[in-house]
Amino acid sequence: MEEEYEILENTVKDFNAKYVENNSLKFENESMGKEFVKLLADQGFFSMMGQSGEGAADVKTLSVVLENLAKSVPAVAVKTLLANSFLSLVNDPKITEAVANGSKSGTVTFSDLLVGPGQNGSLLLSDGKIKGEKQFVFGSDSDFIVTLLDTGELVLLKSGFTAGKKLKRLGFRSIGFSAVSVNSSDYDVLSKEGRKVLEKLYDQLSIPVAAISLGMSEAVSQKGLDYAKVRTAFGHYLKDFQPLAFELTSLIAEMEILKRYFEGLISTSPSRKEAMFLKHKALALAKDISKTSLQIHGGYGYLEDFGIEKFYRDSMALSVLFHNEEHEMEDLSTLVFETKAGFV
Amino acid sequence: MDFELSDDIKEAVVKAKEFANKYFTEEVAEKSDFNEEFPTEIVAISKKEKVLDFSNPWKVLVTIEELVRRDPGLGISVTISAFGAEIFMFFGNDAQKEKYMNPVFAGKRTLGLGVTEAGGGSDVAGIKCEARLDGDSYVLNGGKMFISNGQIADHFLVLARTSPPPSPEKKHKGLSVFVVDSKSPGFAINKLHGKLGVRATNTAELIFDNVRVPKEDMVGEEGKGFYYIMTFFNISRIYVAAQGLGIAHGALDRLLEYSKKYAPVSETGELSENLQLAIAEIATRVEATRNITYKAASYLFKFTPNPIVTSMAKFYAAESAVFATKRAIELMSLHGLTSDLERFFRDAKILDIWEGTTEVEKLIITRMMLKEGGA
Ligand SMILES: Cc1cc2nc3c(=O)[nH]c(=O)nc-3n(C[C@H](O)[C@H](O)[C@H](O)COP(=O)(O)OP(=O)(O)OC[C@H]3O[C@@H](n4cnc5c(N)ncnc54)[C@H](O)[C@@H]3O)c2cc1C
Repeated sequence: MEEEYEILENTVKDFNAKYVENNSLKFENESMGKEFVKLLADQGFFSMMGQSGEGAADVKTLSVVLENLAKSVPAVAVKTLLANSFLSLVNDPKITEAVANGSKSGTVTFSDLLVGPGQNGSLLLSDGKIKGEKQFVFGSDSDFIVTLLDTGELVLLKSGFTAGKKLKRLGFRSIGFSAVSVNSSDYDVLSKEGRKVLEKLYDQLSIPVAAISLGMSEAVSQKGLDYAKVRTAFGHYLKDFQPLAFELTSLIAEMEILKRYFEGLISTSPSRKEAMFLKHKALALAKDISKTSLQIHGGYGYLEDFGIEKFYRDSMALSVLFHNEEHEMEDLSTLVFETKAGFV
Repeated sequence: MDFELSDDIKEAVVKAKEFANKYFTEEVAEKSDFNEEFPTEIVAISKKEKVLDFSNPWKVLVTIEELVRRDPGLGISVTISAFGAEIFMFFGNDAQKEKYMNPVFAGKRTLGLGVTEAGGGSDVAGIKCEARLDGDSYVLNGGKMFISNGQIADHFLVLARTSPPPSPEKKHKGLSVFVVDSKSPGFAINKLHGKLGVRATNTAELIFDNVRVPKEDMVGEEGKGFYYIMTFFNISRIYVAAQGLGIAHGALDRLLEYSKKYAPVSETGELSENLQLAIAEIATRVEATRNITYKAASYLFKFTPNPIVTSMAKFYAAESAVFATKRAIELMSLHGLTSDLERFFRDAKILDIWEGTTEVEKLIITRMMLKEGGA
């Protein structure tokens, strides 16, 4: 790994040790609190991506940060990803400054790309007002929301919206997730070709999302390794039982290969196909490795105190909030076959 | 060979379905899950309405399946009040059956079973809890971990060591089972919080500090406890398989509903093949789980238990529940994540752990097959 990334990795490690690890249950389940969000912002973590409208965003340093943040509390990494996504689309200096320094928060509704037409609510602009309801808003507790109108414009909602009842909370429980009712005349139109802009940003998140998955995989596999070395059953350390040792080893082999691939990608200019390969495999790995590590912990894995079950939930939540199996496999198949594939 | 359920079993299915429809509302299920709250009221109603008919184990099996299919946390809470009672049935004396078992089957009392300890659950013979004879009673010291019904049971069946193992290889000898009253002096109970799933069920740690248990509350013979517990697991694992069947079937229900309501279709109105194949795979697993579970049950209910098939059913049902809930969420995308399916996904994982982990079940299967020469 390049020296620059190693320094960054150590910075995040120190940050985790100092501010995150002791509060992990709270940050995961309740709220991160304004003070902590400010600390996170003070590290410069919220504005690492640059403006995605101006060509290729810089997702490399961001990805290294996310990978390492995800090792302690994946929700912190995801919060950082949302802030970066937001700042990559918004230009208003007052707003960008406030979000970058953590005094305000912003989110982007990717759900428009994840569920079918008409399943994500409806927002319409008429007589200078945006009205309607948007479903599945991840980060619905934010001060600002970037979202799509039915007519295709990407808009920044600055006020005039309220979050509804919290939706079910499989993962990232400290981040708001609900429908949002909108009745707002306080907005900016960011682009007339909103879906295209959103799709471009979503594509650029392939490596950052993979980075979060890899960070989760590293953390949860380490917990599995550590536990298997100290816990005994039938007079043997768990590490000595083939079903556990082989399964975890095999998944760690996969993880190490993906990490190499990840490091390779962030030191070059990855193609869309390569970035999607990584995301596809890293998301699946995070789910598999969390499951194995939970299983190694037996009953303790099922309790939140051991810090395993959150990875089991979060890895699944991540693979739904930032990924859609069918859409992405259709795209990826088309890239692999070099002709339209995966559609009948 | 007849794969049809008899009419009275079919009636039990209908009764369970009606009960779940009436009482397992999403509001109650979500609240119990969120607050980690045992659904006391619903359990009381289920007892009053005799939802579980213990006179026929097939009825118990299909009732578990059907209730869990609607909601695993509530379904298990309603069907776990008699957990361990078969130990009385097979090994208890008449007085114990009268005093402890009958009130449990009548829905008047709640039972818990304490085997697992902080130091280990798979290695049952390695438990450390001790019972020492002192006059007319045994004195119990030690603790039990992850005990279902921990805070609500009136009595627990507790496995404890009554004599040292004759050799390190014979650790399963010298263990005995006791009935312990939850109000006994020296008995402390700590609720365990923060479970991934089955949060409606009550789970606790039990601590015994010189708890006196009258001699007559030892179940069966001294030193035979390991055998009693293993016999019990060969019964209860079939009911765990039914839990897995219910969860997998519940996931299938939800995926089918999604397919009709939200899934994209081609110009000719067909679902994507990816989704069609996933549905077929889950549905086949549900069917296979049902067949193997019912086969294990038919051996047991004819008093010719087949531990190999039982362990097959238990691990296969657990894996199928985990597989089905995972695939269903992946395919249903945000619709799955924001529906009760996310709870099913969290609940399912317990089945890989409790009453014999999936790894342990697989070891049992092979070891017994090698010993006995086949299933
Ligand atoms: C919600 C909940 C409710 C429960 N209710 C009850 C209850 O009512 N009563 C009760 O007595 N217990 C109960 N349990 C405990 C449960 O049965 C145990 O957690 C389970 O038996 C596993 O034991 P353990 O947690 O100590 O894991 P361990 O035994 O430490 O096992 C850890 C890991 O090692 C693996 N392993 C162990 N031995 C081997 C081997 N030889 N080869 C390969 N792999 C191996 C296991 O499969 C597992 O993956 C409950 C647990 C939970 C979480």
